[in-house]
Amino acid sequence: MKILIIEDEKPLSDSIVEYLKTEGHNCEAVYYYADAIEKIELYEYDCAIVDINLPDGSGLDIIKRIKIKLNSLGIVIISGRNSVENRIEGLEIGADHYLTKPFHLAELNAHLKSINRRINFSGQNEILVNEIKILPDEHRAFVKEQELKLTRKEYDLLLFFISNKNRVITKISLAEYLWGDFMDTADSFDFIYTHIKNLRKKLLKLGCEDYIQTVYGVGYKFDLTIG
Amino acid sequence: MKLLTKTTLNFLSVTLFIFLFGIVAFYFLLRIQVEKNVNFELDKRKSSIITELESANPQNRIPPNPNERIIIDVLSENDSLLQYSYSDTLMFDKISNRYVPFRKLGFVTDYQNQKIYVQIFKSLEGSDLLIVRIFLILTILVIVLIVSLLLMNRITLWQSWKIFYDTTKKIGSYDVNKHEQFTLNSSDITEFEDLNRVILSMTNRINSDYLNLKEYTENASHEIQNPLAIINSKLELLMQSGELKENLYKAVFEAYEASNRLSRLNKALILLAKIENRQFPESEEVDLSSLINKQLELLEDIIDAKKLVIRNSISPDFSITMNPYLAEILFINLIKNAIRHNFEHGEIIVEQSTSSISVSNTGPEIKSDTADVFKRFHKSSNSSESLGLGLSIVKKICEVYNFEIVYNHDKMHTFSLILNNNHQIK
Repeated sequence: MKILIIEDEKPLSDSIVEYLKTEGHNCEAVYYYADAIEKIELYEYDCAIVDINLPDGSGLDIIKRIKIKLNSLGIVIISGRNSVENRIEGLEIGADHYLTKPFHLAELNAHLKSINRRINFSGQNEILVNEIKILPDEHRAFVKEQELKLTRKEYDLLLFFISNKNRVITKISLAEYLWGDFMDTADSFDFIYTHIKNLRKKLLKLGCEDYIQTVYGVGYKFDLTIG
Repeated sequence: MKLLTKTTLNFLSVTLFIFLFGIVAFYFLLRIQVEKNVNFELDKRKSSIITELESANPQNRIPPNPNERIIIDVLSENDSLLQYSYSDTLMFDKISNRYVPFRKLGFVTDYQNQKIYVQIFKSLEGSDLLIVRIFLILTILVIVLIVSLLLMNRITLWQSWKIFYDTTKKIGSYDVNKHEQFTLNSSDITEFEDLNRVILSMTNRINSDYLNLKEYTENASHEIQNPLAIINSKLELLMQSGELKENLYKAVFEAYEASNRLSRLNKALILLAKIENRQFPESEEVDLSSLINKQLELLEDIIDAKKLVIRNSISPDFSITMNPYLAEILFINLIKNAIRHNFEHGEIIVEQSTSSISVSNTGPEIKSDTADVFKRFHKSSNSSESLGLGLSIVKKICEVYNFEIVYNHDKMHTFSLILNNNHQIK
């Protein structure tokens, strides 16, 4: 995907670019409102990552301009503001996702993947990863054409793993992606472990490779290089 | 006591005091004056009687006065004690058929070489009547004066103080959150005008301070989240790079964990500040039973992991009027607290009564002072994941809505939320 990153904090912008480049995206970064408007008028993008607070303007205005030009463009807001009103306002003017800073790059990546699916595969849409096939519109997953019977959480977990395949996924980002703000007091990550154990068991039962690797003390990795 | 009542009472007590003493003194002075007058008349009469007796001329006799009686006794030698004297007495009046007060003058004189004792009685009926009338008129006059003064005083004061009461009422209902123009009625009394001026400048200052603080809260949140986002993303990239040795890897992850905690802490503190600043003014009826069920569902994974038993007896029509977002935060924090400080295979009970709702859980005894549970950063467990802010947030929300939150421990740890009258459950 061609992605425009509008974020005034250069180090953060750099991190995003670096992470997304390894995913094969074509990224461009701008740091000012005026530059963002210029880029939007001149070039075509699939997706934009927009910070609300820019030194010379509001990211919300940029989103409004984008939506006038190309309504299908995917938009992820990244903002330091965590109030309900900000969130609602951002989503109302057409943003796909609203991430509060600080966010996990893995989470941003997962959201971009879902935008990518919406834009590029509208209609017949399936994700193929070795022997695993996922139909995101129907929330169904298959291993070697046999259907996997997954709970809602297990399905989300699998999708998150596949979105961030071959990467280290910290248990913190996993927990926040799956449980949102309610996880802020997690005393233990036992229940994440339970879900992952169940998912792995179901995958193995249908003859799938054991891709889910534990990274000791840190989290997990969906490692496709294993097979 | 109102100032108006106090001034009225003072005025009344002083005037009544003066009035009562004055009236008594006046009465006695009047009496003495009248007595003097009568005595003088009696003296005059005495001289005329003596003249009459000396001349012994019946023609010169003073015509009898209906108000007057004269008794003449011949004195024996023994009665030498009788002297010239005035005194008061009662005598029977045949015409009006009752006793009537008289003033008497008794004196001894010679008549045809005999000593005689003459008593002149003068009726006091007329002068008594006069005293009573003067007294009455004066009393009425004074009472009318006092009452009219009192009324005038009250009306003037009441009109002047009306502005004051209006001002206090407006200050009482002043809410910096409502963002409405704060105005006060002007008064023709300098002091009240001064008061209004001072209050207006104060509310203006409060307003601008409040706006500054709000701006500051927002900005602080934004400014702190930005560097945290940078730290997080860089650490994440480091972990992805695959070039780290195992011990470094662990160190990076721990730094990552700490920056995540810092960010949660920042969010929680901003939330607390926002609640304190009353930045959640909208309220609506919140269905507590569905709210709590939803939250138990969200926390299902943690509950299952700890194998807790939940007993929820909130009835479906249980609702409360408050900000829906705050209601969510209030109950999620209570429930999370009950989960965190619980045993494995423990129990959580959510109960209601007409004006309260309570969340109880099994769990280890709290070692520190139970009064400290609502304090910021108070942690009874040494779990590093706990921020120690959950219950302070609960307490803050309760303060906003005048709910009472009580903790007690008796077999189970119980947090009871006692609702006030304005928030009676429907």
